[in-house]
Amino acid sequence: MTAVGAAAPEMVSDDWATPSLSDAEYRWRARRYRFRTVRRAAGFLSPYLIIWGVFLAIPAVWGVFLSFNRGGLIRGDPRVFVGFDNWTRAWTDSELRTAVKNTGIYVVIAIAVVFTLAIFLASLLNHYKKGSNFYKVALYFPLLAPPILGALMWFFMVNFDFGILNLLKRGIFGGDGVRFLGDNPHALLTIVAVEVWRGLGFWVLFYLAGLQSVPEELQAAARIDGAGKWRRFRRITVPTLRPLLLFALVIAVIFNFQLFDSVQVLTDGGPRLGTATVVWFIHKRLFKFQDTGLAYASSIGLLVVVLILTGLSFWLLGKRRQREA
Amino acid sequence: MAGELTTDPAAPEEVPPPPATSDADAMAARLAEAGRAKRLDDRTRMVLAYVVLTLFVVIAVGPAFYLISPAFRDSVSLFTYPPEWIPNEPTLENYRFLFSNTSYVRWAINTLIFAGSTTLLTLATNTMAGYAFARLRFPGRNLLFFVILATLMVPVAAVLAPTYLTVNTIGDWPIIGNWIDIDTYLGLILPSAVSPLGVFMMRQFIETLPDGLYEAARLDGAGEWRIFTRIVLPLIKPALVVLGIFVFMLTWASYLWPLVAATDNEFRVLTVGIASLKGQFVTDWGILAAASLLTIVPVTIIFLFFQKWFVQASMAGALKQ
Repeated sequence: MTAVGAAAPEMVSDDWATPSLSDAEYRWRARRYRFRTVRRAAGFLSPYLIIWGVFLAIPAVWGVFLSFNRGGLIRGDPRVFVGFDNWTRAWTDSELRTAVKNTGIYVVIAIAVVFTLAIFLASLLNHYKKGSNFYKVALYFPLLAPPILGALMWFFMVNFDFGILNLLKRGIFGGDGVRFLGDNPHALLTIVAVEVWRGLGFWVLFYLAGLQSVPEELQAAARIDGAGKWRRFRRITVPTLRPLLLFALVIAVIFNFQLFDSVQVLTDGGPRLGTATVVWFIHKRLFKFQDTGLAYASSIGLLVVVLILTGLSFWLLGKRRQREA
Repeated sequence: MAGELTTDPAAPEEVPPPPATSDADAMAARLAEAGRAKRLDDRTRMVLAYVVLTLFVVIAVGPAFYLISPAFRDSVSLFTYPPEWIPNEPTLENYRFLFSNTSYVRWAINTLIFAGSTTLLTLATNTMAGYAFARLRFPGRNLLFFVILATLMVPVAAVLAPTYLTVNTIGDWPIIGNWIDIDTYLGLILPSAVSPLGVFMMRQFIETLPDGLYEAARLDGAGEWRIFTRIVLPLIKPALVVLGIFVFMLTWASYLWPLVAATDNEFRVLTVGIASLKGQFVTDWGILAAASLLTIVPVTIIFLFFQKWFVQASMAGALKQ
């Protein structure tokens, strides 16, 4: 009754208590109303749904099927169904193992370094507010450049002959320069440095926002009670930041897991696979048309890992909301 | 412990004391005493903090400045030792080469087309979808929203192969294949405009608008489309600006999809083009520096200019609530 009333205001009779429609007519009108709401919603939704469906949702599902195939990317190499072959080989492929290991090492070091620096700088900015706007803008600068350009800037910085790091090293310590991109493990560490440089500004702003949400009164009260600086940090700042920290951790792992741009442009996985990462592996296998089956399987592996982590972060976010409510 | 006293205006001796117990008074006196004793220490701490912050600022912007000198000189002169910081013979040769012998201009135009269209398309589709999820009641609404949201984090790399195959397959179809294919603008743009982040953002934002607006418009006989274009769109301008800037920045910086979807030089974008300037074995450093610098400077200027816009946008959003 209410549905009909909402759809067609002119149908509202003076007497709400007595139904003015027969059962059949009521059902017909309800169906017409439902059809109209669906049609209206479809009008608004279809532009997005079509693009999303064709270029994201269907490919994602198709990718699962593809992981049991190989070939099909170019004309000379038709698609063949191979069952679980890709998956068993992915498990033992040494190059993929190296890529996963490198990605793991990269993720752990990069996040540890960038979070430590970001929390440190954010607490400095939170404490010394004078000119903090300038520092925030300046620290944000590396995010303006595309990852590719950021990496290329560092290509100049770490050059063997004229990179400033090597000029400084030779000037101060003497001896030969460091082959930042030509030796292991230097190359992976250089990639870590480039990505930390790029992400630092974002995480500083992120943690600064978190620190500013720590209530001042709490800090003041603890100080009056004689709690020292470290104790206040441990007992007030850390517990307040903890949900934020966990959420940030999951997000950072998801994004850093997809490291590709700087690797591709700086080292192309080298030297001797020292900087090979999972996405680099996928791209290499797909578009050098080497072993597309392995690439299909590892794509789905990446997808599963990222979706699990996403689920985890939503769960954490939900828990945080619950606690706040 | 006393570190706060200089900066914290809530330090006990400066606040007009509320009726306090003698205990708190004693504590305040002790704190003030400690504060005076440590004041010098505080100043060195502050100087140290600003030195550290400045150091990180230098690290953040330094690499960009390090490009300036190589961009204006002959690549060979880079390799002299001791280094020549200020070019002896500054030259624009690198830029001349960039404009006449590479397709830099073409790449820049492609980037604008690519990022601009992706942004407009994303804004249009996401706002409409966000409106539907926020205001319209239809069966399966929550389920559909959840499914869309679940694809929020799907990495480009994970769907690279099937997306490439999809675009390639559509490319083989009659008529539509002329428009959507590998090495076409639409083939580049459409798969870049799929992220549901904007749908989520717009739904959240439109939900905060008061119900009364819709009811008033509906009583006046306005249809859903009219309400959307005449009432909702003007009100969500701040959100549109923020989402627009966000999508544009993300798109023009993207690399992986343009790398595989636009291999033809005619459709190549800046990120892929500049990366291709770095040769596998031999690199012309001067040209690389010139191209990178030329790309970063306008973005930086726009950022510094739009920064105020960002503040205004967020302020407007806050005032509405």
